[in-house]
Amino acid sequence: MKKKMLAAMMAAVLAVTGLAGCGGSTEKKEAEEKTEAKADVPKEPFGDTIKYDLTVEINDGKDISIELWEWGSDDLFQQVIDGYTAIHPNVSIKLVNNPWEDYWTKLPLALDGEKGPAIFNIHNSYHENLINYLAPLDIPLEDLQADFTGVDAHVIDGNVYYIDYGMMTGSVYYNKKMWEEAGLTDEDIPKTWDEMREVAKKLTIKDGDKLIQAGLNFNDDFHQNYLLGLNYQLGENLFQEDGKTPNVNSDAMKQVMQMLVDMYETDGVGSKDFGEKGSDSFGQGQSAMVIQWGHFYNTLNTTWSDIDFGVFEIPTFDGEPYAYNRYNGESTFGVNKNAPADQQAVAQDFVKYFLANDDAQVAFNLAMSTFPAKKSLADNEKILENPSLKVLSEHIDHYIWPGPMPSTVETSLKKAGQDIFFNGVDIETALDEAQENIIKDMKNSSFESVENLYAYAK
Amino acid sequence: MFKKTHPLQSKSEIILRNIVVAAMVIFFSVFLIIPIGIAFAGSFHEWNPLSGTYNFLGLENYKDVFTSGLFGKSMLNTLIFSVVVIIFRVGLGLGIAYAIYSTLIKYKSFFRAVYYMPVVTPMVAVAFVWKFMYNPQIGTINQIFGLDVNWLMNPKTALIAVMLMTIWKDFGYAVVMYMAGLYSLPADALEAAKVDGANAWQTFRYITLPLLKPMTLFVVINSIIAYIQAYVQILIMTEGGPGTATYLASYIIYDEAFVKYNFGYASALSFVLFVITAVFSWLSFRVSGTEE
Repeated sequence: MKKKMLAAMMAAVLAVTGLAGCGGSTEKKEAEEKTEAKADVPKEPFGDTIKYDLTVEINDGKDISIELWEWGSDDLFQQVIDGYTAIHPNVSIKLVNNPWEDYWTKLPLALDGEKGPAIFNIHNSYHENLINYLAPLDIPLEDLQADFTGVDAHVIDGNVYYIDYGMMTGSVYYNKKMWEEAGLTDEDIPKTWDEMREVAKKLTIKDGDKLIQAGLNFNDDFHQNYLLGLNYQLGENLFQEDGKTPNVNSDAMKQVMQMLVDMYETDGVGSKDFGEKGSDSFGQGQSAMVIQWGHFYNTLNTTWSDIDFGVFEIPTFDGEPYAYNRYNGESTFGVNKNAPADQQAVAQDFVKYFLANDDAQVAFNLAMSTFPAKKSLADNEKILENPSLKVLSEHIDHYIWPGPMPSTVETSLKKAGQDIFFNGVDIETALDEAQENIIKDMKNSSFESVENLYAYAK
Repeated sequence: MFKKTHPLQSKSEIILRNIVVAAMVIFFSVFLIIPIGIAFAGSFHEWNPLSGTYNFLGLENYKDVFTSGLFGKSMLNTLIFSVVVIIFRVGLGLGIAYAIYSTLIKYKSFFRAVYYMPVVTPMVAVAFVWKFMYNPQIGTINQIFGLDVNWLMNPKTALIAVMLMTIWKDFGYAVVMYMAGLYSLPADALEAAKVDGANAWQTFRYITLPLLKPMTLFVVINSIIAYIQAYVQILIMTEGGPGTATYLASYIIYDEAFVKYNFGYASALSFVLFVITAVFSWLSFRVSGTEE
């Protein structure tokens, strides 16, 4: 069955590629391509608990057109669209790409009217701006729960509006050449933060007081990749029990911040002035290690392809963390509740097709470097071939999602870190100020943490 | 022969007047008056047009503005930024315009074009280039001067660095304005000064400068309005950092409206800023004695 699905998708991709290559190709050729795609349409229902039944006619077989809005990765979306329209030739789905910068203002305004897209890509950081325009998914909750992890965190008043198809989190990326030059081997891959600091020292190169090569660089991303994650290793949530009050001036956060300061100022493995961004510095071959989220794997392969890098799981303080790190989900599509009923029906069916389709799930997760939320794909060969996903596979259930946090949590902690590193503010004062800012900014927010839904929640 | 006993005599003139006035009224209503009215109403609400949130808050947003430490700090930064940049813009503009105006200088159009070039270059592009130049590791500024300064992340240099870039980009505007002013000076006044034996400095101090007062006022007022609204260079070069060291008043408005989607609070900030701009503009007129 999977082979058939793969064949259908490949045929669809070939069709698209062929058309693109020909430019103004003839109608005859188009017809041939379509026939070819139709020929490889799977004949049996597919999926795990969520099954996609190919025999169900869409829109009673009558022609219908809908729009799908997204902000990038056109080919990826087009693959899924082509696979779907090969099964339902009466459905036409127009892919509309809006750049990220415009997407989040254009989309809600379009959804507020009658001519918005029936289906659209979601990023959960814009949850509050979108939730009022979403129709609940027309798939039984227990089916979603059976097939995907993290569904409970998306339940609102018994309904689910979107879920995660993949989970993204941070891992350590290291420069293999620098690693070898420092005399390090695979045996030296650190498991704890103490070991990490020792390895970072070995990877650091200085000319007198001048830093030539940073062992570890966290410039500009310490708030995302350290502060908002390592607190969990020390057993502290980001939000207090009420789910609304932040917990960013906790002892755990102070300990993490102190460790970061010590790594730069005591260990000297990096410097606040060595490279504007740790990720860029790593890509430019100036820093030996960085902690980055999954998307960095693709960035390295495309932007800095000459860097030979390896990946290992984020170290812990004691080897038995409450949670290894925070993750964030890459979201499935949203269905526009203001769209005409016939378009919504197609959109609902398209989401079902996407969720049931393993090949689409694998393709999306590989493209985004996210670990599949679909349970049956946890040990998928293609997924585990990606080193940034393989390192997560063993403990993926020990990663925690706090919910779609308002941006102020990240930005306030970034300011706090800059105050500490650059403005000479002490850790306690800076984190207290961040706590106050977040409370102020969130006073009208509907956000509620879902940390209590973590499988190992205290 | 062109003198008329009534301002409008023919029917066609009246129709044309009505069309032009109606077009202007519609244009300003749709693109200025109505949006300002909507924003003013929004400033009394918890307002996010993207999620459809619109809840009445009374004066709470204004109360938050006046009790916000960050707003106070950003207003101080805006004051420092505006005063310094305006002084240099006017000083450099006048000095260079006067130099180009001199009979000793050839290729006047060339110099005028060169100094005006940064003005017509988009701020976004200029800010990115200067950000690169300020880079502590590979930036040309550190390399040329043999320094090791993290210009944009050091609280002592970050605002200065942004001001320097803004002065470089904007002083050409004052050069062109002052050149226009210099070429329109009454020749008889300058001639009279020469006949009376005034030297170059005396001519400049007592004739040229007072006659350029309206132009100076124009440049200053325009600059006040522009710099109170400045945020693009901050957005690109420092994002208000390190910490909140380079927050300007308009950057908070951007941050609240387009990052936090807190349009109500952003509108309240805008109106406070509008009043402050109006007061400063009025003060400039008062100080220059040209209130009328």
